[in-house]
Amino acid sequence: MALVVAAETGVLFSSLEETLVVTADIQGQNWTDGPRIRTARVGEDHMLIKWALNSTLTGLGIDKNYMTVNIRLCFAPISQVERGWRKTVDDLHKDKTCTIAITSQKYTTEGNFTDWRIRKNVPGATYFVRAYVTDTDGTQLAYGQTTDSLKTSNLIVIESITGRHLSMDVASIIFSTASVGALIGFLIVEFRRLK
Amino acid sequence: MAPTPPTWRLDNESVGEPGSSLHGVTGHEPTFLPTIDPVHEHDDQPGAPPTDLKGRPFKLPVDSEHKAKTVRIWTIHRPHMLAFHLSWFSFMVCFFSTFAAPPLMPVIRENLNLDKIDIGNAGVASVAGAVVSRVLMGTICDLLGPRFGASSLMLITAPAVFCMSLVTDPTGFVLVRFFIGFCLATFVSCQFWMSSMFNTKVVGIANGTAAGWGNMGGGIVQLVMPGVFHIIRHNIGSNDFTAWRIAFFIPGVIQVFVGIVVLIFGQDLPDGNYSELKRKGDKVNDSFKKVFLYAVTNYRMYIFALTYGYCFGVELTIDNIIAQYFYDRFDLNLTTAGTVAASFGLMNLFSRPLGGVLSDLAAARWGMRGRLWCSWTIQTLGGISCIILGVVGQLGPAIVVLLLFSFFVQAACGTTFGIIPFISRRSLGIISGATGAGGNVGAVVTQAIFFLNSSYPTERGILYMGIMIVCCTLPVCFVYFPQWGSMFCGPSKSVTEADYYKSEWNKDEQSRGLHKASMKFAENAKSERGSQHGSIAAKEGLEDANTKGETAV
Repeated sequence: MALVVAAETGVLFSSLEETLVVTADIQGQNWTDGPRIRTARVGEDHMLIKWALNSTLTGLGIDKNYMTVNIRLCFAPISQVERGWRKTVDDLHKDKTCTIAITSQKYTTEGNFTDWRIRKNVPGATYFVRAYVTDTDGTQLAYGQTTDSLKTSNLIVIESITGRHLSMDVASIIFSTASVGALIGFLIVEFRRLK
Repeated sequence: MAPTPPTWRLDNESVGEPGSSLHGVTGHEPTFLPTIDPVHEHDDQPGAPPTDLKGRPFKLPVDSEHKAKTVRIWTIHRPHMLAFHLSWFSFMVCFFSTFAAPPLMPVIRENLNLDKIDIGNAGVASVAGAVVSRVLMGTICDLLGPRFGASSLMLITAPAVFCMSLVTDPTGFVLVRFFIGFCLATFVSCQFWMSSMFNTKVVGIANGTAAGWGNMGGGIVQLVMPGVFHIIRHNIGSNDFTAWRIAFFIPGVIQVFVGIVVLIFGQDLPDGNYSELKRKGDKVNDSFKKVFLYAVTNYRMYIFALTYGYCFGVELTIDNIIAQYFYDRFDLNLTTAGTVAASFGLMNLFSRPLGGVLSDLAAARWGMRGRLWCSWTIQTLGGISCIILGVVGQLGPAIVVLLLFSFFVQAACGTTFGIIPFISRRSLGIISGATGAGGNVGAVVTQAIFFLNSSYPTERGILYMGIMIVCCTLPVCFVYFPQWGSMFCGPSKSVTEADYYKSEWNKDEQSRGLHKASMKFAENAKSERGSQHGSIAAKEGLEDANTKGETAV
């Protein structure tokens, strides 16, 4: 197992170039420039994500090895504070910034888009979207993201579901009452028997 | 009001002021009892099998108090073996509920937006409540009996378990874990019940096994909760954030069910329940002030409360952090991380009982000095293996080290309660309760210092915890019994067991004969001199305390 792990220590993020342009829109909300934060709700909102090769780089042959585009939802720094399980590490095999997969698409020079309904197990946090380009082996070659290099602009806040349901709340109350009621009942019976 | 001459009931039957008797919490009652005064007026016909108050014969061999003389683990004979199984199972269920959250932490932390500090606070809260509830449980067992003690605690804390499914933020999470944690006091009722049901010769095995199997709950939960979570997710189709909430109904329902079963089928004493039995003979209430005084002025209590904090406290800490540690550091999935974490708690099946057995073996050969060396050695080895665990970075070796570490740490718990009964006879209850509470304090302190902040990763926290275990075990070297010695010094030749235990009673109390039960214990305690003195101890009668000039320290 150690051998497998050793073979996979991989690409450093700092060695990748940002060659893609990625945008993410929340359906029904307008995109404007500047460090604005938008909110999306799990289960209700869709995200429209578009990616394409930077227009200034077309025709230069940079994308000759590009096979697949992996689009991922990544935690913004504010959501990584005191949360080591979301830590940013330069080695992409250990990096936990972008643990939520959105989709994978085949690379084309014209670019593509995807309409993503936010899954119910996405935690409530502040995010940005990043697309990694990989070759046939799955090794990352380049990337693009919706935010700047400091990860402070164009962030998206996602509000998650609570996971609670009315039926569970009612069941909790019933079981709790039964528990305490059983104890009180037994106590009453015991003390009556004593007399 | 002139006091009537008291007749002492047998030590482990006296019911006194709050805290004055927590008999059975120890795990090691004296094993050489020359006579056992009958507590109840039994009408045992000579030659006929002993029967309880309702005339039913006992299925196990019993002594004159109707306490069982053997432990037949694979049976449920009433009342003894049924009490044994109800006892360890109720303790196990409480451990299960207290540590039900950690194996699901990777899901819970995302749903409730917890950060490392919140998770650390919740871990501290889960073990902090029992610091107080363990001390109170002794009183409840004295007054109402272990049956009511255990079952009422389980039924009162079960609503907290159900409330976990209502939590939506970090504060709620910390509060709920705090209230659930109170139920860890069933340790006290478990040990108390075993001492009421089992004779001194076997109560050690009964207590050690019941405590060990109860602690296993912390291991079993790491397997069961991820399994239940996956079943709810895949077979019922709930999403993650709902599935973990539904999963919490499992420990809650089991806790209510077992609480009711204990109420219906449990029995406090071999002859019946507290509420059914009439107390026969005079009952002496010891003075709470005196009992408390002799406990807090005995430095050994503080040393063992500290060391128990660094074996049992460490065990609680690991129960809280280990699944998340393996999930994050070694990239295991939830179920696999839970399985690895479970192996830690499951070692309790034999580690803790074995610790008690090792302590007994050491005592048989080297007396109390053997017990002290055994305790120090095993706990220090636990600290060293903890240091190694913090350093190891590969999964396979980490699991091996984890298992070694779990053995040493749990065996150390067993060895500690091999020594506790001998620290004091009069204040045995408070000292035992304080030691148990010290375990929880150790868990609170350790988690607060090493696992709350993010300035260093968890593996470094484990390394530091190992160093702290080694350091906090060193005070065992300073425990000195004048009649038996310490790790590095031999006994004082002029002080005997009788002197030591008599010194807890002043002249007035001695003239009234209140110290007689302690003297009986002192005779039994001669076994702690070791094998070269053991045969002498068996032949000697009670020494006349008045002929001794010195009082023990």
